Amino acid sequence: MRDLQSLCLLGAAVGITMIAASSTAMAAPCTSLGGPPLVFIENGDTQETLVKRLGSKLANSATPVRLVYKNKRTCDLALDLYTPNPILNDAIAIKYIPTATEDPLWTPLSVTPTCEADDGGNPIGLGIGATFLSSCTNLPATRPADLAEIKGPVQSYGFIVPASSSQIALTAQEGYFAYGFAQGTGMATPWLDQALRFSRGPTASTALTCAAAIGLKGSQLKGTVPAGNTSTEVLNFVATSGNPDVTIGVMGTEVYDGARNLVKLLAFKGFGQRFAYYPDTSATAFDKKNVRDGHYLPWAPTPYLTRVDGTGKAVDPNVQRVLDLVLGARVDADVNGLDQVIASGLVPECAMGVQREFDGGNLSLFSPPASCACYFEAKSPQGKTSCATCTSGTCATGTCRRGYCEVK
Amino acid sequence: MNAKNLMGVVLGGLVIASSVLYIACDSSDSAVKEPTLAPDSGRLADGAPIPVPDAGLLPDGALPDGAPGDCFLNPKTHFEIINACTDAVRITKNPTLPLLLTDGGLPPLP
Repeated sequence: MRDLQSLCLLGAAVGITMIAASSTAMAAPCTSLGGPPLVFIENGDTQETLVKRLGSKLANSATPVRLVYKNKRTCDLALDLYTPNPILNDAIAIKYIPTATEDPLWTPLSVTPTCEADDGGNPIGLGIGATFLSSCTNLPATRPADLAEIKGPVQSYGFIVPASSSQIALTAQEGYFAYGFAQGTGMATPWLDQALRFSRGPTASTALTCAAAIGLKGSQLKGTVPAGNTSTEVLNFVATSGNPDVTIGVMGTEVYDGARNLVKLLAFKGFGQRFAYYPDTSATAFDKKNVRDGHYLPWAPTPYLTRVDGTGKAVDPNVQRVLDLVLGARVDADVNGLDQVIASGLVPECAMGVQREFDGGNLSLFSPPASCACYFEAKSPQGKTSCATCTSGTCATGTCRRGYCEVK
Repeated sequence: MNAKNLMGVVLGGLVIASSVLYIACDSSDSAVKEPTLAPDSGRLADGAPIPVPDAGLLPDGALPDGAPGDCFLNPKTHFEIINACTDAVRITKNPTLPLLLTDGGLPPLP
């Protein structure tokens, strides 16, 4: 029986590889697409939503840029940037954002078309990870001097169960015994079946940050990693499980936000907490309030990696534009990066009230130098804020910024 | 004002402050009621200490939910931040985990 299961898994893996290979084999070289200048990106698959949203705006802006990207595990893409390795044709497709002229019907919810790297690959302009790089065990001790790591928006993670599961919360101790022990030997009822505890490989940010939240390392997770090691597969396996109550998986919350009709996210109770909390105020909210104020613990900032010049700016000005847009340091007339960050389910650092230094590390209070907390509240899905609106300058409670009276 | 009177004023102030704190916490309590909860203690598998109640929290189980020890109004430390008072939904969960050590710590991985 076990042999049959292994054969099926192998067959599935070969099938996925062949499909991926055939799809890329038929694609045109990315550099022959024409149109806007290209920025090659390797990003964690949790960041694909942002890449597609921002990419759509950039591809159709007055000064267009085309994002060409590949989903890759955080530690693997970081190694590519450190080494540096080019972006290559392999089992993982390279995708590009089409312009409205090329595909008028394409939206960030659409399937993204693919293209091929040139022979020998293309230089990676930007790496977008999704957790602390200090969790990666495959990186050299020292980052190259010309490679900058910029702290991007905060990505939260969580544990998902099928929509019909009766479970509503997970404690860190339960997670430790469920995912840290083989089969059911951890005795963390009901998650006793290792085949139905879905995880990601140890270089994926989702695995690293979720593991840290339950006192484990990514390599210590005893679960089932799908053949393609992707968030989409974990989502599908959990959503379609025939045994809902014993099924569990790890997931970026922005992926979950787009699939709330398929799975449930468990409230999480960290070590030392008296209660479990959702990332949002409630199971139906989208405000990431508990991430921002420290009640919800599985999260990490997204590191942006790029080659920089002597002034600390990205060597490629188009990469610098992407960075400035994502960080809210720049707003173009037709591209608002901060809006795309918020709409993607990420939390800009300027909306955070807490910080940490490494995966699973203790929290400390954080006061951003130019807060966007009110703006975030207003712009997040179902957005509402108690902050006063304003036009410019100082206001009753601090500084007027982006139309809201922020604390500073 | 002699020392005895001064002590009385201080004690009275403390009682009033405690009452205000109690009301403030309880008014924002959206939790499902929780049975007496033993604090997390012991150590993580890698030897790092699990956060335990520090200054400002009374011995766990000594007070009902909503009492001053239930949440922190002005959090500063990690422990206070993750247990700060909030109007967010709070869910009680205290599972029985047979392998948990008697001091609440986690055993090493096999």
